[in-house]
Amino acid sequence: MRLVKCWFCSSTIYPGHGIQFVRNDAKIFRFCRSKCHKNFKMKRNPRKVKWTKAYRAAHGKDMTQDKSFEFEKKRNRPERYDRNVTEDTLKAIKKIDKIRSSREAQHINKRLKPNKQKIFKSEVKEIDQNISLIKAPGSYQQDSEKMKVAVSTNKSVQNEAMEE
Amino acid sequence: RIESKFRNRSEVGVFSKLTNAYCLVAIGGSENFYSFTSVLVFMFENSAFESELADVIPIVKTSLGGTRIIGRLCAGNKNGLLVPHTTTDQELQHLRNSLPDSVVVQRIEERLSALGNCIACNDHVALAHTDLDKETEEIIADVLGVEVFRQTIAGNILVGSNCALSNRGGIVHPHTSVEDLDELSTLLQVPLVAGTVNRGSEVIGAGMTVNDWTAFCGSDTTATELSVIDSIFKLREAQPSSIVDEMRKSLIDTYV
Repeated sequence: MRLVKCWFCSSTIYPGHGIQFVRNDAKIFRFCRSKCHKNFKMKRNPRKVKWTKAYRAAHGKDMTQDKSFEFEKKRNRPERYDRNVTEDTLKAIKKIDKIRSSREAQHINKRLKPNKQKIFKSEVKEIDQNISLIKAPGSYQQDSEKMKVAVSTNKSVQNEAMEE
Repeated sequence: RIESKFRNRSEVGVFSKLTNAYCLVAIGGSENFYSFTSVLVFMFENSAFESELADVIPIVKTSLGGTRIIGRLCAGNKNGLLVPHTTTDQELQHLRNSLPDSVVVQRIEERLSALGNCIACNDHVALAHTDLDKETEEIIADVLGVEVFRQTIAGNILVGSNCALSNRGGIVHPHTSVEDLDELSTLLQVPLVAGTVNRGSEVIGAGMTVNDWTAFCGSDTTATELSVIDSIFKLREAQPSSIVDEMRKSLIDTYV
């Protein structure tokens, strides 16, 4: 028994599921369900079909390059059975699985988080372009020539006037 | 040299694989088939041969990809064993556990999956199907430790099924021309003879299996064919010298 990946959507195919198509050049295509099989028959490219893993990998939606992927690959040179090695491998499988899925979740998190630098730059640009909504364009000139001038209070004159 | 049948079929080369280091046998045969192969081990231990060949060879009952036709699916010599991609993980593990550590077991991803039909090899040299992948050729050279030649035998690309090869000699398809025979002899550096097995069957690789000191053929093999096999693979220990000399003359034609 071997769990294989669907050629179209890359989900795992469990025993008793799906269809296997062998082409004339002896290449084997495995499909997890008729949805994938029918899409294949329609000659759709999985890299363009949004819900497949191939699309998500090709468009950077999902994590593609990570060392934790190297553990799960098809090996063609077996090693002699050793009980301890098998035991350790089983434990390691669980751990690696946990690590890999947390890394994938992190990847998606990072992708969805707002990008602060980008937002800052766009805001600065917006201010530069649209500052006229707040201030008149001419007033810029006056503002730049603005200086501090000492102002003498005319209070005593006014008070005298009022008193009279 | 032993004659036997697997499930009443004389094509012994289909259901077993014999090398100098191990022997693979298909499951589902009668215990007689299995015991023949173990007999050869004991026979050999009692006889006086060079010590290098005195190791007991393990006999492994297996299936490849769930099938019995293991002799035609796998190719191997004392250095390694190549199995097709159809081999399941469990079978691969079983082979690895049962075979000695000196034998490298490797599964090959290759369009032509009947490796026993596509590759004929002994411990030094291998003939390969002309359409084999470049990577596969490299893997053969690496795992089996042999020099690989892409050749045809009698115009037939399935070299593994059309010849039976050991370190001491080989039998090829009966329709091989003399020039082809010479060419192949020089390539392989062993004496070759064009012959048949199992009462005129041209598919020699399927009809018999051979290593340096024993050969298994189907019980349909005639006495003439058997004598040819004996002489070319140098299986009979003691021979009256005159007969040997005569045979040697005819055999030397195939050396260059």
